[in-house]
Amino acid sequence: MAEASDYELLDRYAGGDEPAFEELVRRHQKTIYDLAYRMLDNHADAADMAQATFVQAFLHHTTFRRESSFRTWLFQIGLNLCRNAIRDRARQQHENVEDLPLAAPHDTFAVTAAAQARDRLGSAIRTLPERQREALLLRIYHDRAFAEIGTIMSCSEGTAKANYHHAVSKLRRVLVADEGTRELS
Amino acid sequence: MNCHDIQEMTVPYLELDLSPSAVRQVTDHLEDCETCRVDMEAVRQVLVRVKGRTVPDPGEAFWQAFPEQVRHGLGRGSSAGMLYAVRWPLALAASLALLMGAWLFAGIWDWGGRSDQFAGASKSSSASKHIAQQDEPDLADMDWEREWDDEDPDIVLATMARRLDRATVDRLFRGI
Ligand SMILES: [Zn+2]
Repeated sequence: MAEASDYELLDRYAGGDEPAFEELVRRHQKTIYDLAYRMLDNHADAADMAQATFVQAFLHHTTFRRESSFRTWLFQIGLNLCRNAIRDRARQQHENVEDLPLAAPHDTFAVTAAAQARDRLGSAIRTLPERQREALLLRIYHDRAFAEIGTIMSCSEGTAKANYHHAVSKLRRVLVADEGTRELS
Repeated sequence: MNCHDIQEMTVPYLELDLSPSAVRQVTDHLEDCETCRVDMEAVRQVLVRVKGRTVPDPGEAFWQAFPEQVRHGLGRGSSAGMLYAVRWPLALAASLALLMGAWLFAGIWDWGGRSDQFAGASKSSSASKHIAQQDEPDLADMDWEREWDDEDPDIVLATMARRLDRATVDRLFRGI
């Protein structure tokens, strides 16, 4: 028997079918967790955000117009939640800077700088502008077509492509500079 | 096409996102141009290295428990949603109850007012006088002792009860 489509499972879930709910979550949990982890860079936040993505999707499943795939819709919800979490985190860090003691027992900035030097590519990806980073993650790790990336990011296919190309160019410059530094030292 | 044009097409070339004719142009150029070949390889390396970054697997136990976690969150979400859903009907019911109360009181006041209007022409009952008095003093201004001394205790108690109600309703409406 052919595997049930996401839409069919969603209909069954709406009719109170618990196994359909479980099947839908299992089908997409790794994808959404992967996206959340790549956006938020740690397991705890990624797990929370992946859970919140499914909760939002199931709570509002009646508003899903089915103009895209269920997975695209999950990507949209997940990406929005991650964006908000990153903004909240930035706001919080900004507020906490004022609470930092003037002479920290361990030099936080030196530790961060050392960690970043070990993972130049990682920090280069992290510091990409939001839209470029999202396009890069969706394209490289989730293999989405640019048209779908546009749908997920609420922009045109052309804008999604441009964001991706800018991201790759920027990373290339960082890596070239990095190679140059390594050759010099 | 010059080198700059070709380098602009590097990413789409590697992404297989070019028309067949453009692919042929880039391929032809790469065969003769060392600079563009190096550039192409650099971009390819970026893509390979980015692609090679893995996410640590949280483990089978995490994946097994995940749907239950979602269900848990959904349970909380649903009950929150349900609270939200009943919040407005509750608020509506409360408003209706207040309006009913207001309507009843308005009816009594109107009746009291009309009684007052006709008080001069016809002989009004002592009851209507008492009701007309309801519009006058606030609870705090009342001289309970005097009322208690002058009147029949039963009538005073009934009047006090009505005034208490009025005061309560006034308080409720002040909050809206
Ligand atoms: Zn060239």
